Amino acid sequence: MSQEDRKEINLIRDVLDNQLVDRHKQPMGRADGLIIELRTGEPPRLAYIEAGAQTLARRLHPKLSNWVSKLASRFGKDGEPYRIPWSRVHDVGIDIDVGVDAEKTPVMLFEQWLREHVVGRIPGGS
Amino acid sequence: MKKIIQVALGILTSIGGFLDVGAIATSAQAGAAFGFELIWALVLGTVCVTFLVEMSGRLAAASKHTLAEAVRERFGAKFYFIQYIVEVVVDFLVLAAEIGGVCIALQLVTGLSYRWWVLPVAFFLWLLLWKGTFDLIENSVAILGLVTLVFVAAAVVVKPDWSSVLAGVVPSVARHDTAHYLFIAVSIVGALVSPYLFFFYSSGAVESKWDREYIGVNRAIAVVGMGFGSIVSLGLLVAAAVVLHPRGIQVDSYNQAALTLVQPFGFIGFLLFAASLGITCFGAALEVGLDQAYITAQAFGWRWGESQKPSKDARFSMTYTVVIFLSSLLMVAGIDPLQLTLFTMALSAAILPIVIVPFLVLMNDERYVGKYRNGWISNAVVIFIIGLAFVLAIVALPLEILGG
Repeated sequence: MSQEDRKEINLIRDVLDNQLVDRHKQPMGRADGLIIELRTGEPPRLAYIEAGAQTLARRLHPKLSNWVSKLASRFGKDGEPYRIPWSRVHDVGIDIDVGVDAEKTPVMLFEQWLREHVVGRIPGGS
Repeated sequence: MKKIIQVALGILTSIGGFLDVGAIATSAQAGAAFGFELIWALVLGTVCVTFLVEMSGRLAAASKHTLAEAVRERFGAKFYFIQYIVEVVVDFLVLAAEIGGVCIALQLVTGLSYRWWVLPVAFFLWLLLWKGTFDLIENSVAILGLVTLVFVAAAVVVKPDWSSVLAGVVPSVARHDTAHYLFIAVSIVGALVSPYLFFFYSSGAVESKWDREYIGVNRAIAVVGMGFGSIVSLGLLVAAAVVLHPRGIQVDSYNQAALTLVQPFGFIGFLLFAASLGITCFGAALEVGLDQAYITAQAFGWRWGESQKPSKDARFSMTYTVVIFLSSLLMVAGIDPLQLTLFTMALSAAILPIVIVPFLVLMNDERYVGKYRNGWISNAVVIFIIGLAFVLAIVALPLEILGG
């Protein structure tokens, strides 16, 4: 179902925890968190989808979250979870299609690091 | 014609998936210790796994989701990660047991202790996953797995009293050693209804791009494949009951299990036993190793797929690499493979509810599977068997550990 076809969406059921797919149809993590923007005098607005181990860890346990943040900083992440503005969400169906290029986002940092430093150095890896 | 080939291949594959170190160890133990008395556990396990494999294929074909993905989406991250951790721990033990099975097979043939074989076997396992594609792995394991038909041949050759065999289908209370009887019954169910199978099977179906057209094919594969696999297990149980049970031989090691084929077929039988053990365990080890990577990648939404080059899904490929290495260390440490197998299979039965209950909820959810929802019969059968296995496991596991 494309977004235009429906008037409302069940965020927890249809968005949270669902697969994010980038503009090249490649999986790029899951919708680990939803950020709602509070505005004075107006109803709150759905602003971002957050993706990444830090957001996920925070939902599971605060201690786990600290630990993941420390680990993430080793792979060049700045400690802030990656946010996709809701305006970049093209479609919410089985998966969530977003108009970004996954390879250029921090969600792929660990993948890229492994690809370059480990998998690429093992014969038959690439 | 293409469909027929697919059904045939699928059946072969599911035989490969059905038989593993657990099925061989528990069937041989059951036959040796209790004659035909435990055949009912094998029948219950087969019925249950047939329903569940059919469901996991149907989930994938109808929703394009694997079981792991669907559980995270439907039940949320918190629940999924509880299930994930339980599954990873049990998979880790199962993988070690399967690697142990391959190494024991090599020990039987060469006389060189299984511990020497662990790292070479683990390396070969990894190499196949690293270089091979999903179809190559599945099909080769499936075709080689046909060697296990020797167990069926053995059951016929040893001329059992078929009316007693039939009587074993009816559940009975133990005539002696109730704790061990229950433990083996639970292990049989745990070995047949391996939780990893459903995550793996649905991932394989998604990887092979199944759609709704495959729902019929899937049903045929589940029924014929699982039925066939259980006949092989039954063959081993019957042969063990005729050959080992009257002589009072307990299966304390795989050497004794091998006697079930030595008696009817001589030295060739011994070699065929080793081949059957080695091939089925190797096939299952490939599946469990892959399964660990599947459920991890799907949990986090990574790119995954066995048929891609490792550089295309680096995190996925490194997951099975690390997991295979760690599991093999357990075997290098010298844990007895047979004991580990029996314990792990009973543990598998104990964790079934945490995997199966959400699975059933999904299979009754129209949003996921549309009109391909479960009927009440499949719900009832699965709930009954899983409940029974769980209760038995909770009773039998502590008793077995206390009893040594």
